[in-house]
Amino acid sequence: MSQTITIDPVTRIEGHSRITIQLDDRGEVVDAHFHVTQFRGFERITQGRPVHEMPALMARICGICPVSHLIASAKAVDDIMAVEPTPTGADLRRIMNLGQIVQSNALSFFHLSSPDLLFGFDADPAVRNIIGVARAHPELAKDGIALRKWGQQIIEWLGGKRIHPEGIVPGGVAFQLTAEVRDRILAGVPEAIAAVERAIAWYKSDMLRWEEEASTFGNFRSAFMGLVDRQGNVDHYGGWLRVVDADGHFLADKVDPKTFNDYIGEAVEPWSYLKSTYWKPMGYPDGLYRVGPLARLNVAERTGTPRADEELEKFRWRVGRIASSSFHYHYARLIDTLHAIEKIEQLLRGPDILSHHVRSVAGINRNEGIGVSEAPRGTLMHHYRVDDDGLVEWVNLVIATGHNNMAMNRAVLQVARRHVKADRLEEAMLNRVEAVIRCYDPCLSCSTHALGQMAIKIQLLAPGGAILDELRR
Amino acid sequence: MTMAAAGDATVVGRCVTVGGGGVLVVGYGNGLRTDDGIGPAVAARLAGDPRLAESDVRSMHQLTPELAFDASRVSLLVLVDAAADVAAGEVVVRHLDPERVVGQAMTHHLDPAGLVGLAQELWGAAPPVVVVSVGVASLEIGDRLSPVVEGAVPRAADAVAAVVEAAIVEAASRA
Repeated sequence: MSQTITIDPVTRIEGHSRITIQLDDRGEVVDAHFHVTQFRGFERITQGRPVHEMPALMARICGICPVSHLIASAKAVDDIMAVEPTPTGADLRRIMNLGQIVQSNALSFFHLSSPDLLFGFDADPAVRNIIGVARAHPELAKDGIALRKWGQQIIEWLGGKRIHPEGIVPGGVAFQLTAEVRDRILAGVPEAIAAVERAIAWYKSDMLRWEEEASTFGNFRSAFMGLVDRQGNVDHYGGWLRVVDADGHFLADKVDPKTFNDYIGEAVEPWSYLKSTYWKPMGYPDGLYRVGPLARLNVAERTGTPRADEELEKFRWRVGRIASSSFHYHYARLIDTLHAIEKIEQLLRGPDILSHHVRSVAGINRNEGIGVSEAPRGTLMHHYRVDDDGLVEWVNLVIATGHNNMAMNRAVLQVARRHVKADRLEEAMLNRVEAVIRCYDPCLSCSTHALGQMAIKIQLLAPGGAILDELRR
Repeated sequence: MTMAAAGDATVVGRCVTVGGGGVLVVGYGNGLRTDDGIGPAVAARLAGDPRLAESDVRSMHQLTPELAFDASRVSLLVLVDAAADVAAGEVVVRHLDPERVVGQAMTHHLDPAGLVGLAQELWGAAPPVVVVSVGVASLEIGDRLSPVVEGAVPRAADAVAAVVEAAIVEAASRA
């Protein structure tokens, strides 16, 4: 008799979702689905709005990564205006984006994932949280809080607000940087670097403990996609799209991000509101690829900053040139953070960073525009069409979590096959299925205010829907 | 939004001590969920209030772990939030029971107990916490407060000011 196990909701991720695991007559896992059960509708509700409003509207998509949407949106409107931001304006956008990379990566690693890594996936959930980390490893908890605070501070100082900032506008940014703010940010760089390097040192010393776990934690061959600059370094803001296969061979390189529709398709499945994107030349669903910190390190030659490159070398020595286990997203996220801090410092020390030329001004010069950047969770694409008066007619958003959708489903299936036993439900299974999703740090939400504490429930259902077994947390 | 369980807080009247660390007032909630935005609305009203001239008044979406550091540095923390267990428009002042400050945190946001628990764990200091709650009439999507909750904004602001003033008087009498 086939059965279905449901995990609803999945906790410690951004948004609401559930997981179902399908068992066959022998109790073996045959399929698994990661369902995104919330619907946003931004692509429709923005139709008819003046396009210059789009960046501010798009920032409202998410309370965790509003800067990513601001940047992709502003770049799409730049394209419609046929305008290049001023060099200083582009650099200030980069700094804000990197500030967000730091704060969001810190949230993912220190607040959401470190409890699993410190206490183990089988530890009591009452201990396995940020309060537990504060008690048992206060320095690590302090470092996480300090990094996130520093990243948010950058966004607030440059964008006006730490959540839903408005400093990024079509043509550049709204505010000139002052020497005082620059120096305030720079003053925090040494401690930010020290904090993330302490975390990397701890992670490296502890990662052998997770070697076996990593081997079945979303460990599969796939392609990877990310932005790189002209030298092949990681680029979080612009550059070219590069896609490599599981062996590191280029599937595509030097792709103008504005042509992404030629390469990336979107499929819709009836069991989820989240679209599944795929690499068109390989078709659906074979064209599975991954984005985010792990993909950024896999596609790039180097990060382009010295400390992060040193760590990248060690990373590749330990996990290979192309890391295939999703478990390594955690390690990659820390190196990504170190690079972001170093890059912020480099940009702030640029000779023109205090220039008052921060914004180019233009009108509607095209009816279509595309903006692409790297969000904390991966490549983000905004595509708009407008009429001659600049009113929005059509919008398509391709978000990082959508790129990873097929990979997350594949990862859940792999973990479920290893840990799910048909005759019983165990916390170990629940914890690992959730944790493998957390590796991707999916951002499904956009309205991040939760009413009370999320509950978690797994149900073992008979084909007719009767509950055979149930676990609650 | 606060979902206060019985015994989590005591009712108004107990004075708190303000030492050298100052007062932090945080109004928090989601301004796109109608009455859940009461906290930020009260914070906005208090931002220019001379009675809180010496206080740090902030508006936030949620209580996050980053706030724990700032909380550890102050002598009084006043939180303003929406409440589902209070009659719509009613303003209730509760003191967080210091014996129950060790909260839980499953994600990136905390409850008041979790916030001060984290401050205590990491920096060895947790201030007295007063929660000013306003009962909600609606939590539907919308960027405006319902009339009954809108009418409670001045009273909630006065309640915060009274808590802070009482604490200042108490501190002065001890000095």
